[in-house]
Amino acid sequence: MSSKVATGSDIGHARRAIEQLRMEAGIERMKVSKAATDLLQFCTEQAKSDPFLVGIPAATNPFKEKKPCAIL
Amino acid sequence: MASDGLHESETLAALRSEAESLKGKLEEERAKLHDVELRQVAERVEALGQFVMKTRRTLKGHGNKVLCMDWCRDKRRIVSSSQDGKVIVWDSFTTNKEHAVTMPCTWVMACAYAPSGCAIACGGLDNKCSVYPLTFDKNENMAAKKKSVAMHTNYLSACSFTNSDMQILTASGDGTCALWDVESGQLLQSFHGHGADVLCLDLAPSETGNTFVSGGCDKKAMVWDMRSGQCVQAFETHESDINSVRYYPSGDAFASGSDDATCRLYDLRADREVAIYSKESIIFGASSVDFSLSGRLLFAGYNDYTINVWDVLKGVRVSILFGHENRVSTLRVSPDGTAFCSGSWDHTLRVWA
Repeated sequence: MSSKVATGSDIGHARRAIEQLRMEAGIERMKVSKAATDLLQFCTEQAKSDPFLVGIPAATNPFKEKKPCAIL
Repeated sequence: MASDGLHESETLAALRSEAESLKGKLEEERAKLHDVELRQVAERVEALGQFVMKTRRTLKGHGNKVLCMDWCRDKRRIVSSSQDGKVIVWDSFTTNKEHAVTMPCTWVMACAYAPSGCAIACGGLDNKCSVYPLTFDKNENMAAKKKSVAMHTNYLSACSFTNSDMQILTASGDGTCALWDVESGQLLQSFHGHGADVLCLDLAPSETGNTFVSGGCDKKAMVWDMRSGQCVQAFETHESDINSVRYYPSGDAFASGSDDATCRLYDLRADREVAIYSKESIIFGASSVDFSLSGRLLFAGYNDYTINVWDVLKGVRVSILFGHENRVSTLRVSPDGTAFCSGSWDHTLRVWA
């Protein structure tokens, strides 16, 4: 299914790539320890409203069966 | 004449080697802030318990591989598209089909529900993205109201409405992404930078501003500013095509699924990959990923027919789900997080909770 886009070996393309890399090198970054702590904090705060973590009882989850199962 | 040609190729070589050295510097800058692993920071978090997730609904009706699906904001309706050219809207509670339209092409690789719930968008091998208003008038022919919005020069791989029914973002095998006005079909912005087919995209949660992330066959994940068309960050750590990208619910990170059999988490503020979700026993590509509401769980569908559930923070697998009888091609968590839906090459969709 994949068709390769012509990458172009011309000088203009190479110059744009260099400009892009310079721009990316210049962005502000945060330490992983701080970024990771923020991800953790978000997870913990949201955990109580996450149905997969908290577990929604069958009565309120529209996908879970409510009718009792009769064993014959 | 010959000396001019030589001069030009020397300049090109010089530019390329400068680009390589800049790439090296970029990696050095990123590495300086890599003071700890996410999973180490996550040691202080409680481990997750056992999960019981089962197929609660099976949606049957497609005549061939299901390629894409999306939830309606009403948390109940689902739109799905297939290789057989059909796009179906389902009521996932009852499994009834509410609408069906046959596209003029096969391989409808992308579909999306409009925020209002009143329209759907889809496209694939026709190189277009078309919008169909949904009507409950039994006499009305859905196909008659079709509106062609996007035009690419190769297949449409992904599409998504922005925060309203008025704009659509598309990704294509032609290597570009584009933003379109639905009403006029006008191209508002185009995004160039991928070196090969773009396979997926995801919009940042609305609170975090106007960006989106895309993934492609060039193994790169790129984050774009929707207004300027500029790529603001790029990540190239996958070893093969990136099939799926999805933002972490806070908007500060995103996950990716790739043919290299791994899923990865990239933090946007640390500007680097911060986790890899992989196992030696998982050797087939991940086709589709999505987060649970809190971002703690990552659901990933694979080409080996399974769905793996990962603890995003600790980096370990917490569950493996069987049921599909062929590749899982698409997976989305419902808007209220109570369930997720998977679509497969086995022609069915399954809702899990």
